[in-house]
Amino acid sequence: MTAITTPTPTPANSVLATRPKFEIVDSDVHHGFRQNDDLYPYLSSVYRERLAEYGGVSAVIGTGHGLYNGGAFGRRVDLLDPKDPGDRGTAAMNRDTLRHNLLDTSGVDLAILTGAQLYGASTMTDQTYANALCRAFNDYTLEHWVGADSRFRAAINVCSQDPQGAAAEIDRIGDNPAVVGIVMPCGSIRPYGHRSYHAIYEACARHDLAVCLHFGGEGSGINPAPTAAGYPSYYIEARQARPSYYQVHLSSFVFEGVFEKFPTLRVVMLESGFGWVAPYVWRMDTDWKGLRHQTPWVKRLPSEYVWEHVRFCCQPVDEPATGDVRGDTRRLIDWMHGERTLLFSSDYPHWDWEDPQQTLTSLPTALRRRIMGGNARETYRIG
Amino acid sequence: MTSQQHPPAAATGPATSIAPTAHVVCPVDELPPGERKIVTVAGRSIGVFNVGGRYYALRNACPHRVAPLCEGRVRGLVVSNGPYDVRVEREGEIVACPWHGWEFDITTGRSHFNPHRLRVKTYEVTVGMATACTDDGDPAVETFTVTVKRNTVLLHVTG
Repeated sequence: MTAITTPTPTPANSVLATRPKFEIVDSDVHHGFRQNDDLYPYLSSVYRERLAEYGGVSAVIGTGHGLYNGGAFGRRVDLLDPKDPGDRGTAAMNRDTLRHNLLDTSGVDLAILTGAQLYGASTMTDQTYANALCRAFNDYTLEHWVGADSRFRAAINVCSQDPQGAAAEIDRIGDNPAVVGIVMPCGSIRPYGHRSYHAIYEACARHDLAVCLHFGGEGSGINPAPTAAGYPSYYIEARQARPSYYQVHLSSFVFEGVFEKFPTLRVVMLESGFGWVAPYVWRMDTDWKGLRHQTPWVKRLPSEYVWEHVRFCCQPVDEPATGDVRGDTRRLIDWMHGERTLLFSSDYPHWDWEDPQQTLTSLPTALRRRIMGGNARETYRIG
Repeated sequence: MTSQQHPPAAATGPATSIAPTAHVVCPVDELPPGERKIVTVAGRSIGVFNVGGRYYALRNACPHRVAPLCEGRVRGLVVSNGPYDVRVEREGEIVACPWHGWEFDITTGRSHFNPHRLRVKTYEVTVGMATACTDDGDPAVETFTVTVKRNTVLLHVTG
């Protein structure tokens, strides 16, 4: 046995004092600017404005790929609150303002509330936190919106990256008569027909709710790049990729057999536009004739499932270069059986909205009545 | 009926008045079960199939894009009881066109995806040419009757 010796404590400063002195270079020191204004003198007016509205590189992290928008903050400039210079366009989304602008003034009789600010929850890594946020927004919606005006219905926000959590949220409030559907963003880990999502559709079938998809979240958070060809550079360019998001999900629903498995399910493509629909569905039919043996559970022509189960929204309306809305646009609508499948949507309060008083007004009255209201009532099971 | 369908195979005279002619295809042992033979008879390319000991003949032209249908893969019918269930029935009774994969029932000439409206035209030995089902505008191809006599496969074609 040897004796245990206790080291003698030495003051730290005396240790430093004993070290040799030499120059220190720190290779990583994070500096910054206090606010965006500090950069304004160095930017052109174009980018000063964009930085003010959408942020700079920090927004790149926040939104995935730093895309900006049109209008003011993506919303109608005419709806900015003149009394609030700090309004970022959310004043128009205030309940009473929205009620006045859309229901009392623009003639909308029934509004399906779809939210927007929570779509990003489906891109978050922390699913528990994401679910809590959706739950909070849904409860807020039920209490402060549909509880305040019988002209509101809600499509509740759920976290698509957590199908079990989404199903639990649907079961929690899905029987509320004001809840007519759920909303999931098009940005996803994999297309929505995949079997990993079926718990969501089982829950929707239990409560007879429509499944609504709205673009959003592509290239953000946990999601892959917004297109398989990479990141579009510009907002207008990214907008052109939107139909592809709906297309991928649409064929996934069909070929994964979702409509065979859930024969009462309805899927609504929000802000889908409709000019692309018929040719895309024709393509599915064409391919199915030669490839149906690979997915033999798809027993009918793909178009039959689509026209029965899927609905599309008119906004944004693709305006024909011919100017012939009465003829060319009408043909697009007829090809997609728009008398059953096309729903009016305004996209209020965004800059590219559709004024219900001026949307597809050249259509025959019976057809326009279906599109403006009847189809939605049937789809959302509103008695 | 549309103007896009194939012209009738028997171009001269009413089909019902012309008796089909038996053409020798090959000795029986040259066409065992699961095999096919493509022959040219009366100017038409025709595929003769042995499906489990029974003989069938189809016009070697797909009604879709006139591809050589009878050169396609012969397989069963893939069916399903619901999503993700895959089973095969009627092994060897389906030919899939080599170009775009349209499947036809070798025993009837009917297309799988549109059996009531799209099929190959059938010739019966005793009644001559049957009417093609082309009411949706899809063009038709023909099927023919095959018999065996004295160990020889005979193909019956009108005209």
